[in-house]
Amino acid sequence: MARGAVERYVDAVTARVGGQSWLTSNLRKVFPTHFSFLWGELALYSFVVLILTGTYLTMFFEGSQETLIYTGSYEPLQGQEVSAAYDSVMRISWDIKGGLLIRQMHHWAALIFMGAVALHMARIFFTGAYRRPRDINWMIGLTLLILAIAAGFTGYSLPDDLLSGTGLRITYAIILSIPFIGERLAFLIFGGEWPGTDIIGRLYPIHILIIPLSIIMLLGVHLALVWHQKHTQFRGHGRTEGNVIGERVWPSFAMKSIGLMFLVAAVITAMGAIFEINAVWLYGPYDSGAATSLAQPDWYVGFLEGSLRLMPPWETRIGDFVINNIFYSGVLIPGIIFGLLYAVPILDRRLTKDTDDHHLLDRPRDAPNRTAIGAASITAVTILFIGGAQDIVARTFQLSVGHVTTILQISFLVLPPIAFVVTRLVCISLRDRPGPERTERRVPVERNESGGYAVPYDDPGVDWMLEGGAAPGHFDEITAPDAVRGPSGVAPGNVDDNMDDDDGADDDADADVDAGAPS
Amino acid sequence: MADIEQLSNPPGDASAPVTERERLNERAYRTAVVGFIIAIIGGLVAAWAYWTDRTTHGLGIGLALALGGIGVGLVSWAKYLDLPENIAQQRHVLRTTEEERADFDDEMKMTGETVGRRTLLVALFAGGFGSLVIGFVGPIGSLGPKPSGELRHTGWSAGKRLVTSEGLPISADTEPAIFDQLATIFPEGEIGRDDSQVVLLRMQPDALTDRTLDGGSLDGWVAYSKICTHAGCSVGLFGIDDRPPDVVRQLVCPCHQSVFDPTDGAKPIGGPAPRSLAQLPLAVDDEGFLVAQSDFDRPVGPITWTGA
Repeated sequence: MARGAVERYVDAVTARVGGQSWLTSNLRKVFPTHFSFLWGELALYSFVVLILTGTYLTMFFEGSQETLIYTGSYEPLQGQEVSAAYDSVMRISWDIKGGLLIRQMHHWAALIFMGAVALHMARIFFTGAYRRPRDINWMIGLTLLILAIAAGFTGYSLPDDLLSGTGLRITYAIILSIPFIGERLAFLIFGGEWPGTDIIGRLYPIHILIIPLSIIMLLGVHLALVWHQKHTQFRGHGRTEGNVIGERVWPSFAMKSIGLMFLVAAVITAMGAIFEINAVWLYGPYDSGAATSLAQPDWYVGFLEGSLRLMPPWETRIGDFVINNIFYSGVLIPGIIFGLLYAVPILDRRLTKDTDDHHLLDRPRDAPNRTAIGAASITAVTILFIGGAQDIVARTFQLSVGHVTTILQISFLVLPPIAFVVTRLVCISLRDRPGPERTERRVPVERNESGGYAVPYDDPGVDWMLEGGAAPGHFDEITAPDAVRGPSGVAPGNVDDNMDDDDGADDDADADVDAGAPS
Repeated sequence: MADIEQLSNPPGDASAPVTERERLNERAYRTAVVGFIIAIIGGLVAAWAYWTDRTTHGLGIGLALALGGIGVGLVSWAKYLDLPENIAQQRHVLRTTEEERADFDDEMKMTGETVGRRTLLVALFAGGFGSLVIGFVGPIGSLGPKPSGELRHTGWSAGKRLVTSEGLPISADTEPAIFDQLATIFPEGEIGRDDSQVVLLRMQPDALTDRTLDGGSLDGWVAYSKICTHAGCSVGLFGIDDRPPDVVRQLVCPCHQSVFDPTDGAKPIGGPAPRSLAQLPLAVDDEGFLVAQSDFDRPVGPITWTGA
């Protein structure tokens, strides 16, 4: 058979640089499947959208605070003095065909990116995937989260509208409050006293070069480690600490994953087309004497906003010096949150005395303490998040802002411990519940070529439901939810059930393992 | 591929009727066909929308259809192919073996002894590198000036007129007196200067506390720095609740909901702000316009490390 173009070109390269067998074996690599493994992919693909739309926006954006008179096509602002940055965002939104769509896609992609990152991190936490040997990748991922927040914040600040100016001003105040170095640091970052004329020009290269480059490099390491260490998998039939059961990278995983990339891009594009976001023409250019009520930052900064709003008015005097309470709410609390997140694998090792490598995931209920800590943390961060919009909550429920603040302050102290206790009890009772799968031992049968049935293997000592190391007494999950669909077009008699080495996808019946259909 | 292992196969596929599998496959195939056709249409819709100036909704929905069609097509195609999902592959051992570790340690020990033979060179290299870092401190310092009291002084000084953002001075005796109005005021000649923005209020003089009167109010006129002592936002909301028995007046910062009492020296009465807003002492000049007696008696805005 004649070789195709792909084969010839790849061979032309590998014949010079080597590595063709490496390539082949990686095409045959196996990836486990589970819906919760998609969150990371979702983050990756929304990041791709961010890079593409962001690159387009840089073609038009001006990172400058030079003032000029607005003459674009948005009538209410014509003749007003605005900064070049604001003017260029207005031009993108009103005068460049398709500019508003790309801008709104960029903003929506950022919000979805952060959401996917948060879900991904929650999945890693609650299944214990951060444990050795993936503790390094947990810390890399956390650094990526911080970079992502920084990217979001710098991007939010660039249009130089009222909201972005207000956000910058609060940042300036937070930096000023840092003991010893705050004032000097704030002047270094902002080029002098607020409001200066340098900050947008400085944030621009940080937003479009330094942060994206850092993210791309760290993301490369993050994914390379996932690839090299192989993905974790949930417990199930045949799954052990020593293997991976799933689908091959090519074509199965690749087709679905690339399909997912297009779907993510489609959703973001539709949102950019339909839902207006960050309408800077309504907020107007930044005016330091103005501020609007009911203004909110992007959702992923909500916990910090809540921290600022809920912190009681404590200030600490040390001799001639003062620590303002925004140091506690703006530096200390986020510092504690991220410090604890970095320490998660270390604390886990200390508390459980478990230093083994883990490739099998826990179900959340199987680790009641971890799950309870996670639930308590999510409760605390959620209360901060609600606190970030406490005026809107007060307005909605016809309460006074002060009362809502007090309720949230008390909740912040009281609810996380309650969440811990309740979650722990729920986990323990779920874990210890005898599941239906546990009550009857299943024996696999197979139809042989002569039409009869046989038990292909049956070791009374091994309950295959529990192979893979589930704790005794706990029922386990079925491997494949769609086990009803086996390989098509293959007569049952052809299914190979021996333990031979498999030499690739030569026949698609090979190596296919389906856990017994639960039905 | 020695690391690929085939697991013995508990049945499952055999229990599913062939017709059911075929039906699902047929559906996946049809979905893929429809998806790709939608993608073709979507791209054309996008091009038409751009051509006819429907560049937000039309263009976006066209592109979304093209992208979504390809996505649905690819995923359904993969489903139609019905590829095996339970292939087993062995993991490699990641942990270092004792031999590897010993080998590496030996290598480092040997090369370490070779490189570190001259400790003077090691020390000088460290010194040179440290010096290089110090040399770069200067250019980093150029990013911003050293604070030299800018945070402690504003544009106000004795005799400076209070003007609105349009530059109009404020007459001290407006007849009839209008109470409970808020205006943003700047020092004359420095309109828009951030640290000098002031909220000017006129309230019934008998509503004001002694502290407020001592701080430099005049005939019910009071002026406070508009910059919140919490995070520096503009305290731009003035609210009055005149339901009996008392009239309650509040200044509110919209950013983090700090509340100040304008009748009592702008003392914080709610929210995260730890300190009162600075009060600007007021006087009247020869022409009857409001002027400042002096600059604020303390730094305005968010409290810094040296702001005691």
